[in-house]
Amino acid sequence: MTPDPIPLRSTSTLECRNCGAGAPVDEHFCPQCNRILALGRYGDFFTFFGLPRRLGLDPQDLERRFRDLSRKFHPDYFYNAPPAERLASLERSSYLNDAYRTLRNPAARIEHLLAVEGLPPAASDGGSVKVPPTLLEEVFALNEELDEIRELRESGGDEAQLRARLEQARAPIARKREEHERRIGELSDRYDSQAGSPAAERKTTLEALREQLLEQKYIANLIATIEREVATVG
Amino acid sequence: MGKVVGIDLGTTNSLVAYVRDGVPVVIRDESGDGLVPSIVSVGTDGTIFVGREAQRRLLTAPASTVYSVKRFMGRGIEDVHEDASLLSFAVGGEPGGVVRIGIAGREFTPPEISAFVLRELKRRAEDHFREQGEFDFEVDRAVITVPAYFNDAQRTATRDAGRLAGLEVLRIINEPTAASLAYGLDKRNRGTVAVYDLGGGTFDISILKVEDGVFQVLATNGDTHLGGDDIDRLLTESVLADIAGPAARNPAYENQEDVGRVPRSGPAVLIQAIRKAVIQAKRDLSEADETEIRVESTGLPAGYSRRITRADFERMIMPLVERTLGPCRQALADAGLEPKDIDEAVLVGGSTRIPLVRRVVHELFERPPHSDLNPDEVVALGAAIQADILISGRREMLLLDVTPLSLGIETMGGVMSKIIMRNSTIPASGREMFTSFADNQTAVDVHVLQGERELASDCRSLARFRLRGIPPMPAGMPRIEVRFQIDANGILSVGARELRTSIEQTIEVKPSYGLTDQEVERMLIESFEHAEADFEARLLIEARNEAETVILATEKALRRPDLDRIAAESLEPGERERIEDALADAKRAIGSDDREKIQMKTETLNQATRHLAEVVMNRSVREALAGKNVNDV
Repeated sequence: MTPDPIPLRSTSTLECRNCGAGAPVDEHFCPQCNRILALGRYGDFFTFFGLPRRLGLDPQDLERRFRDLSRKFHPDYFYNAPPAERLASLERSSYLNDAYRTLRNPAARIEHLLAVEGLPPAASDGGSVKVPPTLLEEVFALNEELDEIRELRESGGDEAQLRARLEQARAPIARKREEHERRIGELSDRYDSQAGSPAAERKTTLEALREQLLEQKYIANLIATIEREVATVG
Repeated sequence: MGKVVGIDLGTTNSLVAYVRDGVPVVIRDESGDGLVPSIVSVGTDGTIFVGREAQRRLLTAPASTVYSVKRFMGRGIEDVHEDASLLSFAVGGEPGGVVRIGIAGREFTPPEISAFVLRELKRRAEDHFREQGEFDFEVDRAVITVPAYFNDAQRTATRDAGRLAGLEVLRIINEPTAASLAYGLDKRNRGTVAVYDLGGGTFDISILKVEDGVFQVLATNGDTHLGGDDIDRLLTESVLADIAGPAARNPAYENQEDVGRVPRSGPAVLIQAIRKAVIQAKRDLSEADETEIRVESTGLPAGYSRRITRADFERMIMPLVERTLGPCRQALADAGLEPKDIDEAVLVGGSTRIPLVRRVVHELFERPPHSDLNPDEVVALGAAIQADILISGRREMLLLDVTPLSLGIETMGGVMSKIIMRNSTIPASGREMFTSFADNQTAVDVHVLQGERELASDCRSLARFRLRGIPPMPAGMPRIEVRFQIDANGILSVGARELRTSIEQTIEVKPSYGLTDQEVERMLIESFEHAEADFEARLLIEARNEAETVILATEKALRRPDLDRIAAESLEPGERERIEDALADAKRAIGSDDREKIQMKTETLNQATRHLAEVVMNRSVREALAGKNVNDV
């Protein structure tokens, strides 16, 4: 069971099931009769929110849009509606919730952008098995240190000392993470500034973002490993 | 269209409320009591008693009386062994299936028992609307609340109970969220709110962000097996340990109706007497620093009593109260918040009256918690508001709740693969691709799970189903998209489609701990068959109430200090004796389940006392008028 790329429905227009009028695929409501439309496609969360495809976004503005759209789509308000509209409300609300959860989280937002721009995903949870080349040194040092700490623990080493060593081991990894976050921020800004640039340039930026995201996930796993060790020490 | 109500179907008590002129109100009985004990009892002749009447029967017919059934909703027998040891009614069922409750020679599922409680609430509401002079008084739709941490099976069981009670369940909503609606109605403020809900059987914590009329749950957590019942059980066990030996082994308490398949640690009558005493002590200790646990019938000549201080009590229950802290911290973490980010903490549920609980919540959230609204009623009020929103289509307020547990499927090697994460806003949907492992394979088995653990065997099994009708293709070629949809009730439905051929798949879901639609249908038919017996039970209760009223009035009259004079002056010879005989007869009759006998004896007593009543009345009027001028009257 591999994650599936987001299937885009090929339709470019929707037909309103109430009045039969055509509507652009990303419309929420029929321009003719104002009834809620069935979800046109699974695709671009940015468009769904009426936002440009940019990585920088104002969280408060996003939240406001989420509340406004919730007020329009929520099944609470379609209790008396015909079945087709009830279904559309359910679909659209579910999709809205998914879209909000995704765009609110910066890493998930980049993932989503990669997907809608047709790039392969930056690996599903767990991260890639291969150590990113830029992290080889740190990972090697960390593994050695963790092995030593585990040995010490098993032979009944001093807890405070073990904790201190774990903190020390965490520091370079945490620095790497900050570095990556900064880098991802820079690349995101660059992507946003390339709106009018040739597709190839934008793609280069996206590729770089994807690399950073992969590494960031790897780092997150390393930090989780350290946290687990800290928990074992008690 | 009939009326719409909000119902809090609680572990201990249930309530019904509705919105009148924009304000939610609890529907009460004649004595002003809004609580209907969630207790159901079956008489030897099959009559069903619900609420206070059933509560009284806990002490006289414990083996036929069911309480705290909410703990069994959507669960299997393997989940309830711990509780079963102290229950006075018999529970059983096949492992991996629905719990069955055996009383009075009949077998019930938890949704059927809950349906009796719901029917009583429905009737109470209908009586109310009829008294209000409403032409259309029938209650046919309801919003019913459940603990936020209820899983899919528990929610579905609650919805089934509603259907069995003849209600269209408009929506299942979470109790803490409902409470926040009731609070939000008054305040119209914004901010981050923590709702701490410790009820009779369940604990929930929900963190909400309230802004612009939208009540958005950020995270929820809880324990569907933690509440006042556990406190009662702890105290009961400690009393039982005290008096183990002589009373607990008294053969007089062997139960005739005992058909239990689960071993019980004490005789039913004794356990109920102790339970009643410890509940009283627990309540006392919310006000007093010290009280007495006094058990009337322990089988010991002098009964049993023991002093208990609030400090003793707190020491005993501390581990239980501390069990609420883990879920609180997890919910905060999932919401990405610290305790200091919480603007308000709100207390819901009867068990939050315990001072220790208040102290613990205060310390955790670093602020005194609110309990301005009655913690027993606030959930029902919120349910009524939600019902009103649904039927009116008004959009000032909107609840956005979350699913409390991650939803996933079992993958190769028995691992749980998550599809919808916990704390996702509902409605929520997720998709997963399946394919075949063998050439021309036309079916795939799917096991749906709910929970946070890595291994499928540690998660809750929701359902198994088989994807059929896959077009014959080489292995790995079919692309079957399975859609999981959690609706606004937090209830799951599943759909599937083969993407290459666009063929919709047939899915037959076999719920692991639920009833199939056919079973619900069958129960509905049975409940109509029993409706006559239930109606008879209603009449019996009314006859008994009527008898009680007449008996009380008679006893009062017979206690009058001037009775001897009245008898000498105004009564016929032997009249007083006739009244006393009729009174004794009526009191005997009231203990039986024979409605006609009760009514007859009540009527006889009524006749026997008519003359006395007139005499007493005349005397009162004369006394009242004595010494007064006609103009004063």
